[in-house]
Amino acid sequence: MEQVSDDELDHGAEEDSDKEDQDLDKMFGAWLGELDKLTQSLDDGRPQKALQKPPLRQETNMANFSYRFSMYNINEALNQGDTVDLDALMADLCSIEQELNTISKPNSSSRSQNKGQQFNVLHFLINPTLGSTSSGSVNARPAASNISLDDITSQLEKASLSMDEAARQTSSSSSSSSRTGSVGAVSEQEAPSQRSSVNSACASASSMDSLDTDKVLTGGEEEQAAKLKAEKIRVALEKIKEAQVKKLVIRVHMSDESSKTMMVDERQTVRQVLDSLLDKSHCGYSPDWSLVETITELQMERIFEDHENLVENLLNWTRDSHNKLMFIERIEKYALFKNPQNYLLGRKETSEMADRNKEALLEECFCGGSVSVPEIEGVLWLKEDGKKSWKKRYFLLRASGIYYVPKGKAKASRDLVCFLQLDHVNVYYGQDYRSKYKAPTDYCLALKHPQIQKKSQYIKYLCCDDVRTLHQWVNGIRIAKYGKQLYVNYQEAMKRTEAAYDWSSLSTASIRSGSSSASIPESQSNHSGHSDSGVDTGSSHGRSQSVVSSIFSEAWKRGTQIEENTKV
Amino acid sequence: MAAWDLSVTVEDLGSDALPVTVSVTSDLHVGGVILKLVEKTQIKRDWSDHALWWEQKQQWLLRTAWTLEKYGVHADARLLFMPQHKPLKLGLPNGITLRLRASFSCPAFQTVIGICRILNIRHPEELSLLRPVEEKKKKKDKDLAQDIYDLTEVPLSSVSQSCLYNGMPAHFVGSPQMEAIYKMLSVTQPPPAPEVIAKQYRPASVVDKAHINGRWLDSSRCLMQQGIQENDRLWLRFKYFAFYDIEPKYDVVRLTQLYEQARWAILLEDIDCTEEEMMLFGALQYHISKVAQSEPQMLSTNAAMDDLDSALQSLEVKMVGESSSASELLENMTAPELNDYLKIFRPKRLTLKGYKQYWFKFQDTSISYFKSKEESIGEPIQQINLKGCEVAPDINVAAQKFLIRLLIPAPEGMNEVYLRCENEQQYAQWMAACRLASKGKSLADSSFQSEIQSIRSFLAMQKTNSHGNAPASDESINTHSLVSPRYHKKYKPKQLTPRILDAYQNVAQLSLTDAVMRFLQIWQALPDFGLSYVVVRFKGSRKDEVLGIAPNRLIRIDLGVGDVVKTWRYNNMKQWNVNWDIRQVAIEFEGNVNIAFSCVTADCKIVHEFIGGYIFMSTRSREKSDTLNAELFHKLTGGHEAL
Repeated sequence: MEQVSDDELDHGAEEDSDKEDQDLDKMFGAWLGELDKLTQSLDDGRPQKALQKPPLRQETNMANFSYRFSMYNINEALNQGDTVDLDALMADLCSIEQELNTISKPNSSSRSQNKGQQFNVLHFLINPTLGSTSSGSVNARPAASNISLDDITSQLEKASLSMDEAARQTSSSSSSSSRTGSVGAVSEQEAPSQRSSVNSACASASSMDSLDTDKVLTGGEEEQAAKLKAEKIRVALEKIKEAQVKKLVIRVHMSDESSKTMMVDERQTVRQVLDSLLDKSHCGYSPDWSLVETITELQMERIFEDHENLVENLLNWTRDSHNKLMFIERIEKYALFKNPQNYLLGRKETSEMADRNKEALLEECFCGGSVSVPEIEGVLWLKEDGKKSWKKRYFLLRASGIYYVPKGKAKASRDLVCFLQLDHVNVYYGQDYRSKYKAPTDYCLALKHPQIQKKSQYIKYLCCDDVRTLHQWVNGIRIAKYGKQLYVNYQEAMKRTEAAYDWSSLSTASIRSGSSSASIPESQSNHSGHSDSGVDTGSSHGRSQSVVSSIFSEAWKRGTQIEENTKV
Repeated sequence: MAAWDLSVTVEDLGSDALPVTVSVTSDLHVGGVILKLVEKTQIKRDWSDHALWWEQKQQWLLRTAWTLEKYGVHADARLLFMPQHKPLKLGLPNGITLRLRASFSCPAFQTVIGICRILNIRHPEELSLLRPVEEKKKKKDKDLAQDIYDLTEVPLSSVSQSCLYNGMPAHFVGSPQMEAIYKMLSVTQPPPAPEVIAKQYRPASVVDKAHINGRWLDSSRCLMQQGIQENDRLWLRFKYFAFYDIEPKYDVVRLTQLYEQARWAILLEDIDCTEEEMMLFGALQYHISKVAQSEPQMLSTNAAMDDLDSALQSLEVKMVGESSSASELLENMTAPELNDYLKIFRPKRLTLKGYKQYWFKFQDTSISYFKSKEESIGEPIQQINLKGCEVAPDINVAAQKFLIRLLIPAPEGMNEVYLRCENEQQYAQWMAACRLASKGKSLADSSFQSEIQSIRSFLAMQKTNSHGNAPASDESINTHSLVSPRYHKKYKPKQLTPRILDAYQNVAQLSLTDAVMRFLQIWQALPDFGLSYVVVRFKGSRKDEVLGIAPNRLIRIDLGVGDVVKTWRYNNMKQWNVNWDIRQVAIEFEGNVNIAFSCVTADCKIVHEFIGGYIFMSTRSREKSDTLNAELFHKLTGGHEAL
């Protein structure tokens, strides 16, 4: 849902970054220097901060920090001097804003449970960047930045002004145009908060979008009073939750060695992030576009499933992690659904199948009362704990987990030994284990708890004789683990692809209504969901741009104020 | 036309009575014969259900407009005048025997539809009647005692499926006896005593399982034609393992009986599963029996939920309730926490030997600990976030050992931590908190109290288990009642309890319906699910092999190896034929694959019916209408009778 906001932000961002690329880069550098100074003063002011605490025993992992993120990635991004889009900037500014607030209110150090958490989060977002500025190549800049501070401010203000203008053009329609009759009330109530404190602007902006789109889904179906009331309550609850939403700046590596920095909301699914990346990168729609997690240290990778929560997964990375997130086309992501006969029938050889039968097969496998896990079994090599030796065992896949046949027994179900249950582990493709672990072949898979990031006896390594077996196992495990959800993901991805061909310009909100409605574009905006894309994207564009601009200006105003205060 | 004497035995006159002789002509229609017959008996009663049965021809004379000549009835015909509906002892999937009136004159398929209408089971096409496995004569007196459920008094005309009163079909409402019967049908039975399971017949091999399938009644012929007598015993079972459109709201009886059949299939190892799966099935059975006992109101609440208005109302109340609790939470900001002295042990750390006592604090989803209560304001010695961790119990009530074993994921691997509690009370609380936290839920979660309760009741179960073999009562369940006899030998109840408890923690929060559905799902996900076996002899082969018939495929099993040698899917099937003269089934698949076999342990009609039946089942989703296309079923399963 939220990608609506981020999306639109990015459209805005791109327009600007296209022409103001260099300016921005300069600006950013200077701004970083400024940040550096700021943090120094912050450090002086508040030595008691959560992050400066002597670290607790590290094995306690992230109890205290609700956030972890790879410093390496950000570091690299900065060192390379890539263009960093406004997204990232905004997130950082947001966090500064928060930080400034904490300083201005010294009492808040005795934090109430909830607030404290929230600050910690935002704090953390910004901190890797700070760390890198002090250690990285930007180090030399602070002196220069001092001089150009005014420049930057004016530049920023200019930028925000132009954005304001752009916003104004559309905002008149945006604040009043409501997508459904019932939503109108909500968004209008929300409108003042745009102009109110910057503090909440960021959150409420995305909350509006999410609320709106939520509404689009349900709205129009029922007009009953009870429903409406329930909806209102839900909206209120949503707002309460919204106040605590975490956001994360991530770096996504493209297939052409470039990378993109973007901000993701903790509630966003992989599908949503993919959609926004696809919108931005103009690489053509294909269901095969994937977000791939590469764990460098363990030489393994995994395609995130579309329904997974991205932030949750990225939070498993350690702070100094060299892990990468790749945005890349992978045919193996949905190969299972394109040629189900090769995966679901437990046959050894590949074969052709008529489309009609494929559909029937998928229907049979995924749409019954329970998902039938393909009967995959056979000899695999298992790496022995702590050794570089591999042992052959006869493994079987069942819905309840992976089993093997103990020595000297037949493969009757009751005698099987449970090797792993799949609830807590994910399946990864191993990379070049032949040289790393002396694996018998290159076709390896690994199973581990997503939080494990370093070598451990809790990671299980399996090696297959050929690539076909490898894919069968990996896909079988995915089916056993995710069941029908996988098929739903695929259908969703296909819908997106079809819709992309039908529509020249895309708004994420209208896609969701499905391809059936795509052929009947409606011009009125007070029709739920299927509204004409022109009006709608325009309105949300305006909204988010105005938000961005207000954040910029407010943040800088406060920043300079503090600056003055500390000077005095 | 010449009149001749036709003698008819009237069943209602008693077995010793002489046949009644009526004078008829060959062009008299059957209705006329019956009229004469009734007049002659001089008994005034409702004869509408009666009809003539021709013994030599094994045929009912149901077409009253047909003349005797048309039927070919002559003076030597032995005719029987009797009711078409007769009482039958019906063994239900839950093991209980019911007496009810079933049609002996229409095809068994229709008879099952009638039975299911009385019992309020939707989709009767999935069920069929089975001749029971012969029981030893010794238990005769016990059987009589068991046979207390009598539905023979239900007037057949009053049975209608559509309307429910008080959550029950109308014909069950009224007398307490009838309501008790409905309760028996719709509520799961308590776990059977281990001895009962051990005494039941268990198929030892795939060939044994194949023999069962020779007992299905022919659904195209009536019960009389199949030699079923009044008051005979038959089993009602789900025959086709393709359960269409299960809707818990309407399918209370269907779900319950399906669950019972699945449960018995697991307990008697009719279907194979692994030890882990058995423990999960055990945990679900435990949970289901517990919730079923504590939820007697389920039926009436279901009925209330029928009402859309009340459903909406309850939604509203729920939303209001939620919001108030949420806002309260925000206002107060004092999230609930646990504080206590516990002992901790980390097996991997060499510095800490044995258990050390600390002041523990459970907050949100994390545990932190301090040297003492006094120091709990400051920095904790350590803080552990339990989100995503694995929680396992390690308890021995008799020895007062209450350990919580935590496996906490970290970048470096999993960390093992043991927490030792002093007593049951403490253990239940901290264990519940750990379990919720592992799922990312805090103590504020509404399920916290129920989680504590379920842990306590499980502890209570272990307590009773340690005092000898307690009989299965409502509070304490012998864990041997939940698993197949194989595990009775392998584990003592005491050893079994923690293993089932382990599996139980994942299902403890399910509602009754969800738990039943989960049980069925896991059952359906077993590799051998839905396979009905028949021993066959393939054309050109010299040895017996086993044909497995599943909802979507046929498999050929080599008896020597016990392995599946070949799979054929119905999707690729072009046609199948039965040569009734040589009793051979021939099937043609796409790609010029032809197979043919004769059946050894079952009649080829049964195999034919299985295949046709499954093809019928697969057509249901395409047909939107709710009415059963009985004609198509007969066409697909009938064989030459259908022509």
